[in-house]
Amino acid sequence: MYPSEFEYFAPQTVAEAIALLARYGDDAKVLAGGQSLVPMMKLRIASPRYLIDINRIEGLSDLRRDGDRLVIGALCRHADVGASALVREVLPIMTDAAGLTADIQVRNRGTVAGSIAHADPAGDWPAVLAALDTDVTIAATSGVRTVPLSAFIVDGYTTQLEPGEIVTGLSVGIPPAHAGGAYVKFEKRAGDFAVASVAVQIALDGTTLRSVAISLGAVGPAAIRATAAEQVLQGREASESLLMDGERLVREAAQPFADTRGSVEYKRHLAGVLFRRAFAGALDRANGREISTIHM
Amino acid sequence: MADITHIGSRARSKEAPRHVSGRGQYVDDLSRPRMLHACILRSPYAHARIISVRADAAMKLPGVRAVLTPADIKALSQPFKPGRYAAGLRVPIAEYASAIEKVRYAGEPIAIVAADTRAIAEDAIELIDVDYEPLPAAASIEDAVADGATPLYEELGSNVGWQGKVSYGDVDAAFARADRIVRESLKIHRYSSTPLEPFACLAEHSPERMTITCNSQSPDVIYEALSEALGLDAVRVRVPDVGGGFGQKIHLIRKYAVLTALLAVKTRRPVKWIEDRSEHMMAGGHSCEQEFDVEAAVKADGEVIGMKIRDTDDVGGSVSTLTIHFTNKLNNLFNTYTVQHLTLEGRSVLTNKCPVVPNRGIGKPGMCFVWERMMDRIAQELGLDAIAVRRRNLIPPSAFPYTTPNGNIYGSGEYDTLLDKALKNVDYDGVRQRQATQRGLVARTLSGSRGEPDKARPTLLGIGVVIGVEPGGRNAARDMAIFPKSKQMPGAGGVEGATVKIEKNGSVVFTLGSPSCGQSHETTAAQIIADVLGVSPDRISLATTYDSALSPWGVSSSNSGNNFHLYDVGAVHGAATRLREKLLTLAAHVLKEDMGRLTIEDGMVYVGRLREAGAKSAASGPAVSFAELGKIAYSNQAQMPPGFEGGLQVTYFHSHPHADPLMLPDSEGRVRAQYTFSSAAHAAVVEVDVETGRVRVVRYVIVSDNGTLINPAVVDGQIYGSAAHGISVALGEGFVYGSDGQLLTLTLLDYGKSTTLETPHIEIEHHPVPDPFTTLGQKAAGEGAAIPSPAAIASAVEDALSPFGVKVRDLPLSPERVWRLING
Repeated sequence: MYPSEFEYFAPQTVAEAIALLARYGDDAKVLAGGQSLVPMMKLRIASPRYLIDINRIEGLSDLRRDGDRLVIGALCRHADVGASALVREVLPIMTDAAGLTADIQVRNRGTVAGSIAHADPAGDWPAVLAALDTDVTIAATSGVRTVPLSAFIVDGYTTQLEPGEIVTGLSVGIPPAHAGGAYVKFEKRAGDFAVASVAVQIALDGTTLRSVAISLGAVGPAAIRATAAEQVLQGREASESLLMDGERLVREAAQPFADTRGSVEYKRHLAGVLFRRAFAGALDRANGREISTIHM
Repeated sequence: MADITHIGSRARSKEAPRHVSGRGQYVDDLSRPRMLHACILRSPYAHARIISVRADAAMKLPGVRAVLTPADIKALSQPFKPGRYAAGLRVPIAEYASAIEKVRYAGEPIAIVAADTRAIAEDAIELIDVDYEPLPAAASIEDAVADGATPLYEELGSNVGWQGKVSYGDVDAAFARADRIVRESLKIHRYSSTPLEPFACLAEHSPERMTITCNSQSPDVIYEALSEALGLDAVRVRVPDVGGGFGQKIHLIRKYAVLTALLAVKTRRPVKWIEDRSEHMMAGGHSCEQEFDVEAAVKADGEVIGMKIRDTDDVGGSVSTLTIHFTNKLNNLFNTYTVQHLTLEGRSVLTNKCPVVPNRGIGKPGMCFVWERMMDRIAQELGLDAIAVRRRNLIPPSAFPYTTPNGNIYGSGEYDTLLDKALKNVDYDGVRQRQATQRGLVARTLSGSRGEPDKARPTLLGIGVVIGVEPGGRNAARDMAIFPKSKQMPGAGGVEGATVKIEKNGSVVFTLGSPSCGQSHETTAAQIIADVLGVSPDRISLATTYDSALSPWGVSSSNSGNNFHLYDVGAVHGAATRLREKLLTLAAHVLKEDMGRLTIEDGMVYVGRLREAGAKSAASGPAVSFAELGKIAYSNQAQMPPGFEGGLQVTYFHSHPHADPLMLPDSEGRVRAQYTFSSAAHAAVVEVDVETGRVRVVRYVIVSDNGTLINPAVVDGQIYGSAAHGISVALGEGFVYGSDGQLLTLTLLDYGKSTTLETPHIEIEHHPVPDPFTTLGQKAAGEGAAIPSPAAIASAVEDALSPFGVKVRDLPLSPERVWRLING
């Protein structure tokens, strides 16, 4: 119920935070929203000796458009994304995710970038952002680097982040016109982690699927891009038989493990069902129809 | 009694404002000078021998004041005596407050630390070094009874801790004349009510006494435990605000009261222990997983003439609650039905899982599940309508008071009417029509193309209608029905006290004999006192929460067994009635009037029926206020009548006027298992997503007979809560263990309780049929809807899936289970 003893720092600048991280290396943890870290500390699953609270650092709460990219600062909360008219307009798939993540309390505190740095296999943001053109911005004493999300998360709870480094933000490519996406999540009850989830982002050229990105959440050690399904769909017109092929390929792409949320067989099946429902939502939005988040 | 104006009204809650504004006083809100904080080391193994426990390093940690290891606990305390919950235990087995030589479930307490802060105590726990010899764990009934299974208790020889049987009527003869035997196997899983507040104890030891402040529902259990285990002569148990009971806080909490008290003795300082959520999930007690093999002897018209039930209860890793889930089935053994011949065979199997405890109805939801699943099955096999089969077997209104073959006396009931109203309120015919239309559409969708890609979401509609009794008012001798020859009948009958007192300023305070766990007892009791005494509920308040040294407690002083409506209401009413007599005696003397001419209204005693005569205040006629009478009673004997016993207060102990016959089990095992019998019909309408297996409850209708309603809002609250729980149980909440006996659902997140988003709006209609034997005609409401609701959901889901020919036999109906049912 109480964490092990730790030392707490509240740096005012990214430079100070980086200096602390450089000093304490693996013994240090960054506290942003704390919605995963603090429960883990209370259960003593995590016992960092140094906690570096970045909440007092100014300039990390960005949520803005920068040319053709959406910039998300390290302190941008799920609720900020959920309430953003800009996000709803350019990337409604992210509005879906922001509303489906955990509960209101968590959404008010937890951060999008923190979810990416935590890399929970059942997290919503890793699944959604993997279907988009997402970059992760990382700072260290040696400078700033940008890594594509696909390279950043290497396994469950494991990222490229080195000791001494901090994620300062994300940037997501804003899709062109006639694009649309939807994120669909199956949870045992509201606020839970996904049993399985699917994000679909498409772009249309008339009625042809110009591009298709399909990302599967909670059915593998990290988000999985269903590339075989994407290839089958790309350059074609959506039809029932084509989508049935896509559904089959999505099921094949899933690599679920059994736990209290479901068996391998069931999760694999769900991935297929969710793909169909997410695709339907993405198609609606690509065709300019405003639809609200699809609830399962 | 004065005019009835408050009984039956939706009076505003007296407790809720403090509970919702953070002004409640729970154990964790209490602090004492020099108080220490405790933390418990729990077993990581489900089954293991404890080889050694070394606490040196923990003791050396700065701030640690005491560590008790199993050796210390054995040396400093005595084992608990097996109580009525273990009525079936016929071999003496010593159970201490912690594991001693063996651990039998993951989470079983092993050692306890007292330190200056909780954080230090938690650090110290990590420094205790335990050597275990792991043993094979039995994580299921099947594992536990398998050949070569490692016994949890060598003394018992096997993991079947008890086997027995009760039989009423001539079951063989009934089966011999049956037109058909309907057989089914059913199962209910492990769950809990997960109260918001886990266990909490604060122990203070002085030369005079041990005072323990804890959130126990049954302070008598704590009183006994401390007396027995610690050999203490003077024990005081106090219960402040309690954040939910539901049965969880009756039994296992005694272990922690003893451990905390031992630390207080050892350190000579107050010690507080607060259980955390994960501890409560793994070791606070679960409901019982139950397996049933049922055979019903039926006539062609649907009449059930005999029933044979074999019940296997997975009681977990302790013998201390060996038979309660069996004996509690005696409470609603016949549900609402007239069958006369029934055998219930029981088997209690020990497994390496958390011990089972009472939980909102104990065995009763299982018993109702058996009856209501069988009614559907009988209807299917005979090709009859399921509701018609129920009606064929209902006890008719003309039969009340009705004695069941096992000795229960149902005071009143109109079961047919409950069904009628439920069908009407849920628009049963309308649902059936929509179902027929929808099935055609879904059949086309499923058989061929899904049509438009974005329109693919086939759902199936289903409806289930069930009925159940809700027994109330405990008679704990019931637990001994399996051993009717026993001379030990702890807890027999029902006696409860209450004290009501008029203060010097004319306001009223009262004390109850049992604690409250948030069920608005103060509100309800004040309404009764208000009407009896003729004073506004605003002037009435609870003097103190439970304190064994002050509270008038008796045989059934427990916030359990659906007791309040019967015992506390009777006691409060009795005390207020006697106090009214006393008050009028004094008033008659002061007003120099005949007592018979006096009336009371709103804290004033008038001569004659002044209100009827149009008088508005004391000024318009001879009258005296409660405050004026209080002044005399507290400060002027000269104005009292000769021989008047001072004090405006009365303590009264109520016992059920019809506690006999059959307070004790007779030679046939017949016993008054409980004393009142509420009843309710539930109608659930569900939609099943055929692709995912998700069940959505779209309507939930209850028609409930809780007898005379004292506060309908309070009763509604009990029904909402218990229905929400029962529906959540049916749809997915529950404990899941790995095959190694590790609990996989350690947090509320993993446990999967429904939130408000999954819980349907619950529509209630009251159909009160007063009980002829209780003080105001009232019946119970505390366990209520938790009893029939799992059966209602099962029935509705089975109905929805009938195109697939699916039978629902197990709970929970999680999406995956439903998907598997659909897909064979």
